[in-house]
Amino acid sequence: MKSIFLLQLQRLRREPMLLLSMTGMTFLFVFFLGGFGASDQVEVPVYFDQSMNGKEQDILLERLNQSESYRFTETDQKTAEKQVALGDIPFAMKAMPDDYRMLIAADDPNQVLVDQYVKQVYAEELRLQEAESATGETDLRNGVEAALKEAPIGLTTSTAEGESTSGEYSQRNHFLFGMTLFFSIYTIIFSLSKVAEEKRTGTWNRVILSPVRKFHLYIGHLAYSFMIGFLQIVIIFSIFRYGFDYYIGGNIGLMLLTVACYTFAVVALGMLLLGLVNNLEQLNAIVPIVTVSMAMIGGAYWPIEAVSNSILLAMSKIVPVTYGMEALKGLALDQSLSALAQPLAILIVIGVFCMGIGINLMERRA
Amino acid sequence: MLKGESAVLETTNLKKAFKKNVAVSDVNLYLDKGESVGLLGPNGAGKSTAISMISSLVKPSAGDVTWHGKSVVKDPNVIRMHLGVVPQDIALYKELTAVENLRFFGRIYGLRGKELESRMANVLEIVGLTERKNELVKHYSGGMQRRVNIAVALLHEPEIIIMDEPTVGIDPQSRNYILEMVQKLNEEQGMTVLYTSHYMEEVERLCDRIYIMDHGKVIASGTKQELTGILSSEETIWLELDRSYPGLVAELNDMEEILRVIETDKGIKLITPKNSRLLGSIFQAAERQQAQIISLNVQVPTLEDVFLHLTGRKLRD
Ligand SMILES: Nc1ncnc2c1ncn2[C@@H]1O[C@H](COP(=O)(O)OP(=O)(O)O)[C@@H](O)[C@H]1O
Ligand SMILES: [Mg+2]
Repeated sequence: MKSIFLLQLQRLRREPMLLLSMTGMTFLFVFFLGGFGASDQVEVPVYFDQSMNGKEQDILLERLNQSESYRFTETDQKTAEKQVALGDIPFAMKAMPDDYRMLIAADDPNQVLVDQYVKQVYAEELRLQEAESATGETDLRNGVEAALKEAPIGLTTSTAEGESTSGEYSQRNHFLFGMTLFFSIYTIIFSLSKVAEEKRTGTWNRVILSPVRKFHLYIGHLAYSFMIGFLQIVIIFSIFRYGFDYYIGGNIGLMLLTVACYTFAVVALGMLLLGLVNNLEQLNAIVPIVTVSMAMIGGAYWPIEAVSNSILLAMSKIVPVTYGMEALKGLALDQSLSALAQPLAILIVIGVFCMGIGINLMERRA
Repeated sequence: MLKGESAVLETTNLKKAFKKNVAVSDVNLYLDKGESVGLLGPNGAGKSTAISMISSLVKPSAGDVTWHGKSVVKDPNVIRMHLGVVPQDIALYKELTAVENLRFFGRIYGLRGKELESRMANVLEIVGLTERKNELVKHYSGGMQRRVNIAVALLHEPEIIIMDEPTVGIDPQSRNYILEMVQKLNEEQGMTVLYTSHYMEEVERLCDRIYIMDHGKVIASGTKQELTGILSSEETIWLELDRSYPGLVAELNDMEEILRVIETDKGIKLITPKNSRLLGSIFQAAERQQAQIISLNVQVPTLEDVFLHLTGRKLRD
């Protein structure tokens, strides 16, 4: 099994184009569709009232920065006033313990949005404080925060920029997840197509005739395809997480688990396709069709909420992309494992199911 | 000792049907230790299918294959370690070098370290590729690829090697090299060889005994002498003509003494009883049809003629 796996790696080293081009395509698509990193965030310089101590300042700044749309940066009163007066920046904010002021020089469309957002943050904060003092419970805040994160109904707020689902989940995250999942299907299935290729050239039979057990032969190929797909997704996520400040959730362990479940399901789906086709040409013909339609139905291109046709919705229920997107979205919103358990479990079930049928079909054909 | 008494490999009533298409049926053959046996037949005769069953890759629809008396069908492992198979197609990783291919296939046979390296050096020497072992297989000529294809099958030092048309589509020089190599393996190292081909010259040169296959059946078997003996009472008259003469063919067909008339693109082949003194009548017929005879040959029978005699068709079509 190790030999089979290493052999595939060696072959990859000789012909790395597929993996590189798929990773590159994902990068380009996310980069151009999702916008250029942090540049679409509205920057808001903040200076603090003397009555606030360092700790209070940090807490407030962190709370304000929980939104993906705005970046609040600390500055001092003098600089802020000077910059606003000179028109270097359109506005700045003065933060006080229970209130705030906006320092405005000229009309700026973003100022209204920022004002609205800050107002909301302050209002929430005040409400929490009131509730705390009324009930005397100190961990009420944690409870409320947790409940908000995993709100059973999605809160949709309308802003001038369009709809955004509650929390940090944004359009660019959607592109990142969608494109990454989409292109990874190609990589995974085409790397699995080495199985069909080996059957055609006869190297498969050579290995079958050796003391290597067939089970290990399959595992070697599956492990390789799994690794390729997994790596591609993780690399892309890392690039955008660390290089472009995308927020994809704080739990790296859960993120890896989600990627693993999704990759497993797609590898298994690849096996099913391999079992269904008669040769490499047929596989090459159906892979784009299957991949693109799965991505469409599964909500990799546009949010699944945009689909209203009941047939398409029903189909989306058997497509791994749907659950991959759902789980990743949950992660970006920092939901806990219990909220992700369902999509992940479904991915594993899809995987086991496809794998079983796929290998069976392949063996029957042999 | 009786023939087949010491057989290492034997098939009994071997049959394979793909849905309605019967690819192989009732094939009985055996190989003695150290023997070189040929399986001769035109494309589609069922040679590759038969070989796949013998080498345990394909389960027969009926019949059995035994290796030293043990059923290969029941337990493929009885033969696998002792068997080297050279597939009809080049079964190699073409984006890797010859050495990388050999190393991989050696490893899956459990070879490691010094032993693996020395066996690799050995087989590379046998196939004459030591000098160019580090080149990518896809950059090799067809003949060199075929030689690596054989080298891989020799790596684990099998007792028996089964070769499926190992010289198809290569230049005469490489072909000759391969034939010599097989001969050496058989004669000097005592390796048992089952050699499949549709070139009768090859099996004639290499093999102690020959099975002739057609339409999935063995239609004749024996040594070359035994096989051509089938035709001992006949001879072949080969009439080369400048063009085709349907009238002449018709007239020859009407002659009682001529057993068979076969029209080819260069002339007409006649199978006649030995010493039938037909040449005079043939010339007269040609005269009547105003046919231009370029040459006329009376031949001793070859395996090709045996095949022709048995099936009415040429081996290579
Ligand atoms: N996997 C298969 N499925 C269906 N028919 C097959 C298969 N393999 C071989 N055949 C058929 O069996 C016959 C014998 O083929 P084969 O054994 O390849 O002949 P040869 O090797 O002598 O050229 C052919 O008619 C071929 O079409
Ligand atoms: Mg064949």
